[in-house]
Amino acid sequence: MTTILPSPASGPRPLLGDVPAAGGPAPTDLAAAVAGGAFAALRTVVGDLGPTGTLVTIAASGLRGRGGGGFPAGDKWRAVASADDPVRYVVANGYEADPAQATGRLLMETRPFAVVEGAAIAALAVGAREAIVAVRAEYADAVRALEAAAFAAEEAGYLGRDVLRSGRDVAVTIRTVQGAYMLGEETVLLKALEGRRGQPEQRPPHPSERGLFGHPTLVHNVATLAAVPWVVVHGADAFRAIGDPDAPGTMLVQVSGAVAAPGIAEVPTGTTLRTLVDLAGGVAPGRTFKAVLVGGPTGGFLPAELLDTPYTFAALRDAGAHVGSGAVVVADTTTCLVDLARLLVRFSADEACGKTIPCRIGLRRLAEIGQRYADGTARPTDPQLLVDLADDCAASALCDHERLAPSPLRTAMRYFGPEIDDHVLRGTCPAGVCGPVRLAAAAGRQGGPR
Amino acid sequence: MTDVIARPPDLVPASPPAPAAESLAERLLRTQAPQRPQSAPAIRLEVDGRVVEGREGQTILEVCRDNGIEIPTLCYEPKLPGFGACRMCVVDVEGEEHPPISCSRAAEAGMVVRTQTEEVRRLRRTNLELIFSDHNAYCLPPCQNKCPSHIDIPGFLKANAEGEFRESARIFKRTIPFPSILGRVCPAPCEEHCRRDEVDEAIAIRDSHRYAGDQVIREMVERDVDPPLPFELQPPTGKRVAVVGSGPAGASAAYYLLIAGHDVTILERDEAPGGMLRYGIPEYRLPKARVLEPEYESITRLGGRFECGRELGRDFSLDDLQNQGYDAVVLAIGCYDTNKLGIPNEDAEGVIDGLEYLKIATLGHTYPGHAGTRVVVIGGGFTAMDCVRTSVRQGAAEVTLVYRRDMKDMPAASEVHEAIEEGVTTIFQAGPTRVLVDEATGRVTGVEFIRMQLGAPDASGRRRPEPAPGTEFVLECDRVLLAIGQGPDLSWIGPGNEGAQATKQRRLRADAVTFETGRAGVFGTGDVRNGAQTVVQAIADGRRAAYAVDAYVRGLDLGAIRTRQTLAEPQPEFLSIVPFTSEVKESRHRLSSLPAEERRSTYVEYEIPYSRSEAVAEGTRCLQCTCEAIGYCDLRRLGIEYGTTLRTLEPRLNRGAGYRSVTENRFTGYNHDYLRDDSHAFILREPSRCIDCGRCANVCAEVVGAACYDFMRIGFDTLVTTPLDMSLNDTPCVSCGRCAETCPTGALMPKPRILEKYEVDESRCILCGICVDACPYDALRCGPDFELAHTSREEPMIDLIAIAAVDRETEMTYVRRERDWAPRALAAGRDIGPRMLPVLPASLAGPGGGNGHAAAHATGDNGHAAAGDAGGHAPHD
Repeated sequence: MTTILPSPASGPRPLLGDVPAAGGPAPTDLAAAVAGGAFAALRTVVGDLGPTGTLVTIAASGLRGRGGGGFPAGDKWRAVASADDPVRYVVANGYEADPAQATGRLLMETRPFAVVEGAAIAALAVGAREAIVAVRAEYADAVRALEAAAFAAEEAGYLGRDVLRSGRDVAVTIRTVQGAYMLGEETVLLKALEGRRGQPEQRPPHPSERGLFGHPTLVHNVATLAAVPWVVVHGADAFRAIGDPDAPGTMLVQVSGAVAAPGIAEVPTGTTLRTLVDLAGGVAPGRTFKAVLVGGPTGGFLPAELLDTPYTFAALRDAGAHVGSGAVVVADTTTCLVDLARLLVRFSADEACGKTIPCRIGLRRLAEIGQRYADGTARPTDPQLLVDLADDCAASALCDHERLAPSPLRTAMRYFGPEIDDHVLRGTCPAGVCGPVRLAAAAGRQGGPR
Repeated sequence: MTDVIARPPDLVPASPPAPAAESLAERLLRTQAPQRPQSAPAIRLEVDGRVVEGREGQTILEVCRDNGIEIPTLCYEPKLPGFGACRMCVVDVEGEEHPPISCSRAAEAGMVVRTQTEEVRRLRRTNLELIFSDHNAYCLPPCQNKCPSHIDIPGFLKANAEGEFRESARIFKRTIPFPSILGRVCPAPCEEHCRRDEVDEAIAIRDSHRYAGDQVIREMVERDVDPPLPFELQPPTGKRVAVVGSGPAGASAAYYLLIAGHDVTILERDEAPGGMLRYGIPEYRLPKARVLEPEYESITRLGGRFECGRELGRDFSLDDLQNQGYDAVVLAIGCYDTNKLGIPNEDAEGVIDGLEYLKIATLGHTYPGHAGTRVVVIGGGFTAMDCVRTSVRQGAAEVTLVYRRDMKDMPAASEVHEAIEEGVTTIFQAGPTRVLVDEATGRVTGVEFIRMQLGAPDASGRRRPEPAPGTEFVLECDRVLLAIGQGPDLSWIGPGNEGAQATKQRRLRADAVTFETGRAGVFGTGDVRNGAQTVVQAIADGRRAAYAVDAYVRGLDLGAIRTRQTLAEPQPEFLSIVPFTSEVKESRHRLSSLPAEERRSTYVEYEIPYSRSEAVAEGTRCLQCTCEAIGYCDLRRLGIEYGTTLRTLEPRLNRGAGYRSVTENRFTGYNHDYLRDDSHAFILREPSRCIDCGRCANVCAEVVGAACYDFMRIGFDTLVTTPLDMSLNDTPCVSCGRCAETCPTGALMPKPRILEKYEVDESRCILCGICVDACPYDALRCGPDFELAHTSREEPMIDLIAIAAVDRETEMTYVRRERDWAPRALAAGRDIGPRMLPVLPASLAGPGGGNGHAAAHATGDNGHAAAGDAGGHAPHD
């Protein structure tokens, strides 16, 4: 299991809670969990708040979606709750697509009751009978933990028929989905749950209007739903007090790369990137910091000067990166950013679902431009072409994948122009990754990758 | 519990159905294609500055289409909800950060939509460029591509193969009026690019249309049958056009102007029409009475008048013509000034202008004192070749051809072997340095040459000859014929002809697309504009000029002519083509010719034409490389409309209208090369032409219910295909053909087949009736005694003619490969008349709606919605 890093300050940890002591009760032990406060929120919702009160609380808490988009949860809940269609769904997105990411996995494995309870509260609040937790099939431990938790909770009367004698039924189903990277996208996940090929749908209509099987659906990342019980128990004001006022709460961030002690930290929003790196023990001994990749494969490279950027949706977006999967990867001077950027864009291109033309062909062409940068065979028009193509892809994008996928190359151009110039103009790779031999060989080779 | 959402206890069902009770299929069924109320309330929104009315629940696209506003789509299938894959239907909606796609976005009252902003057009163009960068396919076959006039070569060869020579000539005449002339004098650049060459030998394309043209001439001469018209003859317009020059360019312009309904007078300097065809090309290559004159008769039969013996600058001026009320003047006076060598003694007696020499020869006279002389001909073009071969025929003792480059770079390389057979000596890579003259008589005694070595390639791609010092040698001779190229005679420019200008290269300045000269109403075409070129180039130029002149005298927008021409004759570069391999080899049918000894002394046409069976056999050798979707392909239409493949025309390149090349795409990179799948009897799959729009998959799954296709694989390699790329035969395919019908490109096509009828093998029929269920045209029906069909019907069969009679939207898809669909459609009262140039959709007409043509035809009773099989695509208007 990934190391859990200490939080920066001794603030509350709504998501991970207290780190369980070794040898303590299993995360799926219902009695221990209830003793630790699980399902108190559900009781509050059923007993005091009612659906309307819950909606008000969530809206007042300022909770935003943790899946990367940062959409206010309260607005989404209200949209589903006020839909005409009586059949509604809640879908918890546990498909963690980023291959180097385990925050969701950690959450589902160690706090399955928080996820299940959050999903049940959401279902009660928006008037859904069924909440589906869609988990990546490869996460066998997480699937087992969630299934055990849901089973135990249903046995104890927290879920299923007549939840806590409220007269309301809420079924929490754990569904495994397997497939490709793109399943992390909400409409793609819904298609997969319907048994169809995972390809995104045009929005609007948003899933809150027309989602799973055409019914209003509340889709949230598991990390968003796991925060809900804490919000209900401690109140909206307490949640609002944590972190950045615009997007309050905590987020799970996985810090990896050239750091001394890579791991996952639960940090208040607005924590600076520098603090995040320090939480992971700082840059690994003997290494020199070069850049930090924020947001996973579609994230952006930020240089040392931007390490004081707060970890918030807006600030990161302005800097050219995004929260994305919650990954923060430190690149040191032995990393060639040109090479890494091209690799990431190529990954995004290869993982594209293939539905839209700008995504299927455009990302591939961007990756080819990146390849030409790395090979030192860039054409004079390539920088402009990259910007134009990335802009056009973003403007006519169907989903965020094609909108964000050019970020590694764009931020590399924005912040690390000299390194690209070294490749293109001087035929050298400062990091020594794209060796001079390869550059020389590439100069004589025509055509793109493959 | 006080709850706004929870229902009162008495309304809660005693045992509510479990959420999972409903099956997946039921849920899918219930959620597909949301039901729309039949009488949804009307809404008003603004589109492109116009207030339009739609119904609530309609998408922006539906509202626009209902109101006649064109938004391009590739993946939109009207039977299904918007899919959103192609991103072509993006529109600008006021107040939105990113332009939404109109096929999926619901129209809302008060919305302000713009369908043609700079941004959305840019996005569409980028999309198209991306598609083309992975569109490993070609629209036109290489032969048609390389023909300067883009003749529908597979088309006329197919007609030849069927023995329909009149139809073959008609197809030919769409782009070139004179199949017989070109069948003799064309250098046939098409044959160099014929893909049949990869199997055995290139098709004899030129000889094939020569045969077809000769049949038309024979019918005309022997039975007074009018030659076939390539386009519907337009009613007289009352406009008068003067064409100056009756050579190939002028005659071609006149021909198409006559078809367009104008009154055309052709003014010719010499005593008979034909220009270079008559006075430059010897009788043995182009018989004048037997070929040239009958071909020109097609102009007089259309009402064209030749006025011979009238020369521009001598007998009349442009002022005169325009004062006489001509609405337009076409200058096609050709190139008659032979270039000079620029060496000493060039004007000595015995140095003769090759053109002048040929003119005398074509008039039937022998140049004085030519017999028995030693002749040196300098040059490597067709004029030089005509000079040497005519000299042989005029009894010259010794004929030597000297050319400064090597043989393969010679413009007339194809003919040089025949000259050598006839006894001509050839010297390559040598250039003249001076003419040797007898001091006493002033007569030529020889020419000193210097050896050339070949340097770096020049602009024409040929290696530039450079003199090698110290390699001079002398050829003794009595006569020197100069044939080193010609330029136009522009001495008439001046008073009375103001406005016309010469270029730096001493040619007439005229636009490459609109053919306008500096003087209003005067157009220049052919060699006078381009410099000396081949006959086929001149004819193509003349035809294109006719389009421009037609637009001019009708008062249409000349700016739109470029796009309309490109639609009429696209010239895409193909990226690569799958090599064709065949077990069956059948070599080319060659024209036999008279023995060289006999040729030396006679002007009789030396090639012996095809027999009918040879002409048919040669037609059957054609591989029909053309894309089956040509003229019906939305991708091609949009590519042209959005200029993705349309490069700014540079006049000096002289590639004709709208030279386009997908290889010049910004995004060119790795592209896919898929194998064609023709395993299915009715549906031809060409995945390289697939643009992954998903229409076939959606229609097959949601309308037909078979679900043969889906998106397969991932990322850039995504392809809409069958599972595991299996043959359609192994899928639940019911052969309904709806996938081919919906495919916007040529990726899925009804398989071309020569079948007229399908026969049912009665011995194997189990009378299951599936064919009756599956037939999309109800061509097979269950009779009252279907069970007894095998006894009551002699031969149950499907008749394609009967299918064609079914009036359906999809009819064209199925019958368009049938040869006689046009007459049948006409007989059924549908308007399919082919036009010289297609009518543009309103969205193409540009700002100000300058394309009056489109407007005229949208309202006029003579409107032609479809360009038919005229090579242009029927615009979706």
